[in-house]
Amino acid sequence: MTVEEIRNQFPALAETVYGKPLVYLDNAATAQRPLAVLEKERRLASTVNGNIHRAVHKLAIDATEEYEKTRDLVADFLNAGSREEVVFTSGTTMSINLVASCFGEAFIGEGDEVIVSVAEHHSNIVPWQLLCQRKKAVLKVLDIDEFGGLEVGTLEKLISQRTKIVAISHISNVLGLVNPVSEIVRIAHAHNIPVLVDGAQGSVHEKVDVQEMGCDFYAFSGHKVYGATGTGVLYGKKKWLDAMPPYMGGGEMIETVRFSGTTFAPVPGKFEAGTQNFNAVPTLQEALTLTRQFQEDVEVAQNEWAITQYLLDTLSADPRIHIYGVPRGTQVKIPLFSFSVEGAHHEDLALILDKMGIAVRSGQMCAEPLMDRCGVTGMLRASFAPYNTMGEAEYFVKCLNKAISMLI
Amino acid sequence: MSLEEKKQAVIEEFSMYDEWLDKYEYLIELGKSLEAYPEEKKTEEKLIKGCQSRVWLDYELKDGKLYFRADSDAIITKGIISLLISVYSGRTPAEIAADDFGFVDQIGLKENLSPTRANGLVSMIDTIKWVANDTAAKEKMADQVGHDDKAVLTAEDVAALQPLYADVILALKQVYDPEIPVNIYDLGLIYELNIDKERKVSIVMTFTAPNCPMADEVMHEVEESVKRVPGVTGCTIELTFEPVWDRSMLSEEARVELGLDYEEDDYGKLN
Repeated sequence: MTVEEIRNQFPALAETVYGKPLVYLDNAATAQRPLAVLEKERRLASTVNGNIHRAVHKLAIDATEEYEKTRDLVADFLNAGSREEVVFTSGTTMSINLVASCFGEAFIGEGDEVIVSVAEHHSNIVPWQLLCQRKKAVLKVLDIDEFGGLEVGTLEKLISQRTKIVAISHISNVLGLVNPVSEIVRIAHAHNIPVLVDGAQGSVHEKVDVQEMGCDFYAFSGHKVYGATGTGVLYGKKKWLDAMPPYMGGGEMIETVRFSGTTFAPVPGKFEAGTQNFNAVPTLQEALTLTRQFQEDVEVAQNEWAITQYLLDTLSADPRIHIYGVPRGTQVKIPLFSFSVEGAHHEDLALILDKMGIAVRSGQMCAEPLMDRCGVTGMLRASFAPYNTMGEAEYFVKCLNKAISMLI
Repeated sequence: MSLEEKKQAVIEEFSMYDEWLDKYEYLIELGKSLEAYPEEKKTEEKLIKGCQSRVWLDYELKDGKLYFRADSDAIITKGIISLLISVYSGRTPAEIAADDFGFVDQIGLKENLSPTRANGLVSMIDTIKWVANDTAAKEKMADQVGHDDKAVLTAEDVAALQPLYADVILALKQVYDPEIPVNIYDLGLIYELNIDKERKVSIVMTFTAPNCPMADEVMHEVEESVKRVPGVTGCTIELTFEPVWDRSMLSEEARVELGLDYEEDDYGKLN
């Protein structure tokens, strides 16, 4: 696929802002959606809008089929052991909250420990903090080195008899480095400790095989893999999902309801209480098919690699710029660049770039502990998708230089 | 230049630039030329809430006029606040309090900022308004007391007493109602709070119910808490049930604390 072919599928990319062509470099926050996804959601909403799993009428049956077909496809996308291991959620945040709440309820008690890394998104910190407060458990933190790589070597020391779960991101949304999750799983499993992987960024860029990775939970969001917003996935090994209590009570998650006591539906239904996002979830079919195509396409890989090299070289050659998350050895860096500029505030830069038509992210990027660790109040982040061109990367650098010269 | 003339001048200056980039360039220049702000004044207390970039705002009252000083770690924000200061610094509190700040909309600043920035701008304006209103109110109060020669408070006295007001309020917030888990200040039990030249505090307060068995104890606690504030030389408390306390006197914080937001009609009085 050429970049042009890809761009044609994404109507948002033809937009102009302030009279300038949109250069969308905030893909790590949310990706633009292709026509296939936009049309799918519209079609379902206008022709197959029936509440799933309940009624016997045609609309409900067709909607249910679309919804459940998606579960098969997601199971295939992740290479899950079975379709029962796929739970639909509203996004990564809900997926992680579900595990923190339900796994925590069943398996974590006073004095137990949870391990996260310092480079986690707030969504993979705060649910665990809440759990720890509730259960009087302890949150322990795996550090990063000066280049932004995880200090995996110290994980062994952090683990104790009281460690009940390790929650780690596949790829940090700030550093953009692919973490050695298989190794982390190996270390944790050697102590019989399950691992949750936050795949919000990982599912976009890496071909995920949960069986090969060995993780116990994998969470990701639909809107970052070109699907509709408000969709998300929690993969969980069946043995854990079976052992966990339900998250929310309500319709569809039950088997029988009596005032004397209620029994719950088998997984994954147990975790899908209430009316599901059934117009949006099936867009994951188109979205994940496209994501997989992107992950396997040679031209896409070449374009991404060229952009990554160009930006790493250009940004690190500028003495005013400090990049966070520098790949070393064979470590893979996705086309995501968080940096600070000496003497120029990230918000000022983002504001000026915006008026030049460039959408970038500024601030703490939902990772305040990591900002503190790096000694900054915020950063500027440019994150690329397969539809971004080398020309856009060059325009970004040109505009960044102009913005810096305005500010310094 | 009068306030109106100054605002017109800013609007004209801004309209000279067609492109937003040029407007930013102008704001950046303003930010860079803003008078230096003392490092020791970069305190949590002077920090304006609601800005993603940090903004500190300090002020003083001199010869009946308010003078502002500010700083920010982001230069465009600094430019915006510099613009506000150039318009409002050196005006009387009454003049600022009466202004509608409409010129900010006229130059299109608010809608051209990201929501977080726009919120920051609104917070800056709110802070300036609050300072002006607060100072104007204190001046008015001073005028009223002014008939009694001994109690005359000059505008300078009012400004000097301002931190003490904040401290006394903080002390009042330490005292809790024995039945409701909210402090007496946010409950709205304090009807009047005055500090005179000798730094004596006089309070008029009420209780949620006229027959509160804990009244004496709470009043004693209020007195002790206020007297402990450094600088306070005395405290007198007057009890009143006129007007009778009701739920409308609760502060926003207290409402949230009590979860009363959506149940306005369900409870009636809290006693």
